[in-house]
Amino acid sequence: MAETNKVLDVAGVSKRFGANEVLSDVSLQVDKGETVCVLGPSGSGKSTLLRCINWLERPDAGQIYLNGERVGINNAGIVMGDRDLSKIRTRIGMVFQHFALWPHLTVLQNLMEAPVQVQRRPKAEVRDEALALLAKVGLSEKCDAFPARLSGGQKQRVGVARALAMRPDLLLFDEPTSALDPELVGEVLVVMRELAHEGMTMVIVTHEMAFARDAATRVLFLDRGKAVETGSPEKFFSNPETERARQFIQRYAGDVAGGRR
Amino acid sequence: MSAADIAAIFQGAIVTITLSAIGILIGLPIGLGLALIRWADVPVLGRIVALYVSMLRATPLVTLLLLLFFALPNIGVPMSPVSAAILGLVMSTSAFNCEVWRSALMNFPKDQYEAAQSVGMNAGQRFRRIVLPQIVPVSLPGLVNEMSLLIKVTPVLAVVGVVDITRAAVRIGAQTYEPLPPFLVAIAIYVPIVFALVSLQRWIERRQTRAEALA
Amino acid sequence: MIHDFGIVWSERSLLLSGLANTAILSALSAIAALLLGFLVTPALMSKRPAIFGLARLFVDGMRCVPFLLFAYIIYYGLPSLGLRLDNWSSGLAALIIYNTAYMAEILRGAWAVQPREPIEAGIAFGFSELKLFRRIILPPLLLSAGPVIGNQMIQIVKDSAFLTIIALPELTHAASSIQSRHYIPFAAFITAVFLYWGLCLVIEAGISSIGRVAEARR
Repeated sequence: MAETNKVLDVAGVSKRFGANEVLSDVSLQVDKGETVCVLGPSGSGKSTLLRCINWLERPDAGQIYLNGERVGINNAGIVMGDRDLSKIRTRIGMVFQHFALWPHLTVLQNLMEAPVQVQRRPKAEVRDEALALLAKVGLSEKCDAFPARLSGGQKQRVGVARALAMRPDLLLFDEPTSALDPELVGEVLVVMRELAHEGMTMVIVTHEMAFARDAATRVLFLDRGKAVETGSPEKFFSNPETERARQFIQRYAGDVAGGRR
Repeated sequence: MSAADIAAIFQGAIVTITLSAIGILIGLPIGLGLALIRWADVPVLGRIVALYVSMLRATPLVTLLLLLFFALPNIGVPMSPVSAAILGLVMSTSAFNCEVWRSALMNFPKDQYEAAQSVGMNAGQRFRRIVLPQIVPVSLPGLVNEMSLLIKVTPVLAVVGVVDITRAAVRIGAQTYEPLPPFLVAIAIYVPIVFALVSLQRWIERRQTRAEALA
Repeated sequence: MIHDFGIVWSERSLLLSGLANTAILSALSAIAALLLGFLVTPALMSKRPAIFGLARLFVDGMRCVPFLLFAYIIYYGLPSLGLRLDNWSSGLAALIIYNTAYMAEILRGAWAVQPREPIEAGIAFGFSELKLFRRIILPPLLLSAGPVIGNQMIQIVKDSAFLTIIALPELTHAASSIQSRHYIPFAAFITAVFLYWGLCLVIEAGISSIGRVAEARR
């Protein structure tokens, strides 16, 4: 089967909030192992696209497939109930802009909570895996700390490890570094870069142009809810097809050259 | 229930309101005094005040009133229902007020106090001219809240025989064998008074947050 | 005077059963009021004006009515509407209904300051329905509302003393019986005061331990 490589297929998704059309007819295919960066000015619908993929927002039109399986609508063509939706959501990891760690649980418990409670995997196994993940993001010594005691960069690394603990087929990042102080951005990007190298399938909404240019396998440029352009980062940043993309890149040019604003 | 009955309940209301007002007016400065003793950390006395406040805050007003009304005459202090009521209200509300005042005092910026010292103000001047004008607005919402709580426990004064709203209502209920109407009248008197205080508290809080937002 | 306390000591079983009743009454009504509060809170935040208005009216109404009058209405007033309850049921009902309003308002206030994102993360990680509520929403909500709920419990203990007027055998009622039997008002009532104090200190210790747990997570 030629289709088996395709992890995510977003086909013609639209979403409006009241009179405001946030996404119009956006499509995106992501193959296994790809790192797709979604770029665009603020308010262009990037986050909404991400939130539609795991149905935190219910799209008004279009289809979403995860490994060939329809998200949000069951075989009978009816909107899925909470149970079916949650089953699919466990296969899509998500990293949030403001970390969204659970404040009442320790770092280790944050990693173990959903695998044990939702996926019902054996506790000992989950624990070993969680400790390995914490070691991977360099936070082994923080495993018994509460999120409130961590720096922003540490919180977000826990956020990434927590998403990985679900063994997801696909990882979504919603502006993972935009709530961080500039000096803390690097430590999170290092982890994300490593995941890209390992072949994790990821869709990343970001304003980090330098990261997009050298870590993404592909970029998708959104503007006013429309997918304006998609292609390799080299081509997008050096020779964009559209005027809008050109303007956007120009505005962030310093970012690409200098690493960060 | 006759018009005379309703008039009797309103007469009780005057008693309730008068006693509440007396309790509030005496309780406010006593609460402040207790708070100052704790704030200044007066040896021994500070500990005693702390225990007094902790105990009074835990004591139901009914129990306190029964204690005062029955026990004080026993040791030679004559107690009428009204004097027991005033004493009980003052003791209880001053303990709560003390905590409100004290938290305002604890949060009072130390450097201001030192600045007043450095320009040569004596203790009395420092307190009257620098501290008090600032802790009054901070404490106001808490104090008004305590006032509404005090009004809400006043029906209990009837237990020691004060002829207040509640006792008037109970009496009419017993005479007419229709307890519901007089109680509803009593509630109809209480609700607007408490509601006015609660609204006053919210209004003060809103005004202060707005003033802070502008500053 | 020591002799008086000797009499109180000889009546200790009466006093202790009063204390136990006060504790049971307070604990039962606190738990029930908290659970019912969870049902009223969503109504307080409802976007439908009829539901919101009704819930607001109930909560604000209860907060303006003196508890003692409310207990009188339940015990003496309801029978004229054909609903007769004994003193235990009416006392418990009065405490529960009255405090449900306070608990609902406390929970609403705590809910309003809860961040949305961790809950959304719960949904994204596959939590749903009851499990989402129980494991993701409830624990931080209770931690942040805990101290205020504890203060309300102290209020409930004190309110329960009012129920002596409907002859419910709680602590103040026990002290009154001892006083009227032996005429030792000071010893009887001061013992009751100390027992209330002890009960409240226990609750306060609970509050501060919740506070410590919450502080580590803030």
